[in-house]
Amino acid sequence: MVLRILLIDTDGERARALEEKLSESGYAQIFRPEAGNLAAAVEQSRPDLIIIDMSLPDRDALEDIRAVAAANPIVMFAGTDDPAFAQEAIAAGVCSYNLSGVALSDVKPIMASAIALFQRYRHVETELAAARALLDERRQTERAKAILMKDRKMTEPEAYRWLQKKAMNESRKLSVIVAEFVAAHEAGKREIKP
Amino acid sequence: MSESVPFAPRGSETRMRIGLLRLTDSAPAIVAHEFGFFAEEGIDAELVTEPSWANIADKLAYGFLDAAVIVPPLAFAVELGLRGLRQPLIIPCGMSLGGNTVTLEKTLAAQVRASANRLAMPAAFAASLAGRATPLMLGIVHGFSTHNLLLRYWLASGGIDLSRDVKLVVVPPSRAVEALASGQIAGFCAGAPWGEVAVRAGVGATVATSDDIWRHAPEKAFAVRTRWADDNPDALAGAIRALLRAAQFCDAPENASYTAALLSRQKYLDTDSHAILSSLPGGAVTPQNLSRFWRNAATFPWRSQALWFLRQMARWNLVDPALDFPAIAGRVYRPDIYRAVAGPMGLSVPLADSKPEGGHDAAWQLEAAPTPIVMGPDRFCDGVVFDEIAVPASP
Repeated sequence: MVLRILLIDTDGERARALEEKLSESGYAQIFRPEAGNLAAAVEQSRPDLIIIDMSLPDRDALEDIRAVAAANPIVMFAGTDDPAFAQEAIAAGVCSYNLSGVALSDVKPIMASAIALFQRYRHVETELAAARALLDERRQTERAKAILMKDRKMTEPEAYRWLQKKAMNESRKLSVIVAEFVAAHEAGKREIKP
Repeated sequence: MSESVPFAPRGSETRMRIGLLRLTDSAPAIVAHEFGFFAEEGIDAELVTEPSWANIADKLAYGFLDAAVIVPPLAFAVELGLRGLRQPLIIPCGMSLGGNTVTLEKTLAAQVRASANRLAMPAAFAASLAGRATPLMLGIVHGFSTHNLLLRYWLASGGIDLSRDVKLVVVPPSRAVEALASGQIAGFCAGAPWGEVAVRAGVGATVATSDDIWRHAPEKAFAVRTRWADDNPDALAGAIRALLRAAQFCDAPENASYTAALLSRQKYLDTDSHAILSSLPGGAVTPQNLSRFWRNAATFPWRSQALWFLRQMARWNLVDPALDFPAIAGRVYRPDIYRAVAGPMGLSVPLADSKPEGGHDAAWQLEAAPTPIVMGPDRFCDGVVFDEIAVPASP
């Protein structure tokens, strides 16, 4: 029996890798819809199993479909009977909906592949997110320094020291002080303008 | 304000993972975290911004989150195992009132508004649906959401047949603008700032807000896994203290622009701070679509409101009507915990656990200790008063 699998993942490379892996077995036929109207995608492909990236807001739309299909209660994850397996899936950031009552023994190896793949990509994602947060913080700091240099005629090192000192005096993180300072400055600007 | 030591010694901190969505009314949790209110209570709070309600529910159910800023119907769904694994939860405090909008596609909105001169808005909407061959598609954020229950209440009050005239579909708010523009939906009900985002994008117009459906309607609540709460009673009290302080900050009009800037950051709402500002107390141009956080006992977990949510869930077949709702409301909503925490902070606390909902057209005074609390109007759009005080005393 060939399982019809709807794979919803915005990471094209990861989705291709999983599709390739599952297709190799010959037991799966994969559908990959565009993000957006998932109800229509489900209606068209009539999947036995949905595998979805948990970082997508569209999971809520699938909850709705789940509630509608009364004949075959949809099972989230590879069965709530195995919390450890479900936990592993959540930690990896992938979720499955079993729509047609396919045996869990058939679903589990598929989900195991998905989990393994998501785990590998997750590692890269975490590093990327950390780098992005750092960049965001640096951008804010640059902005705060620029404001101080322009408005209070400070030099760049003076501006940085001023922010650092404020953070120390108030026992708060530099990033918080910087965000607060920039926000206050922008709010002030807005009030002056009509 | 709080009696705790300003900085707990390192190593003694209790970790608390708090889930939230990209919504204006996540503000008190974000402020409590960014201002160090949680840290001052010895709580190592980790704020997790989730993309979906489904993630919030699953992560609570499987223990990846200890607490969450949640829509109360979803908290009941998790508590009762109505979707996926069940996990006992308590709600020791509320987070916000109001803030939702019913936003329609621009042309339709203009049509409905034009006839709203003669008719009440829901009836005007019903009139605009007359003679349609197919049901009008409207977006909600989740089946177990305040939005679903409020929108249904409002539509039904105008005589709209929910099984024939309209079809409610789940559309994540971040996709609502796109869905409205493409014609996939004709309107949606979602929390701030998403209605404003659609208006600013030029695709939608707001025809009603939470206040037009139920004035000062309870919106988000703070839900905690019962097991976590039982294991960490001191940290729970500390978290509530931190949130009550943050709620007061967020409610002060002078803090609106600062709060909006904080919320707009990438790790939180990651959206236009002006759209957020318009839904904050003090930031709105028209004071109609506001999230409110403190005044009018906004943080008190009213059991009568828990019961209203459960009864509405039953009305639309979202929960088995044979269940003992007063017992469930009593188990989940915990005004007793709220009182034990807020009282020693010197804050006024309501004396009753429940109140009739919907009887007031104007501001009124609520019995509270040490001093009475001024409450806002709480009228429903259909004028009905919900009065079912069959809730057991606090355990």
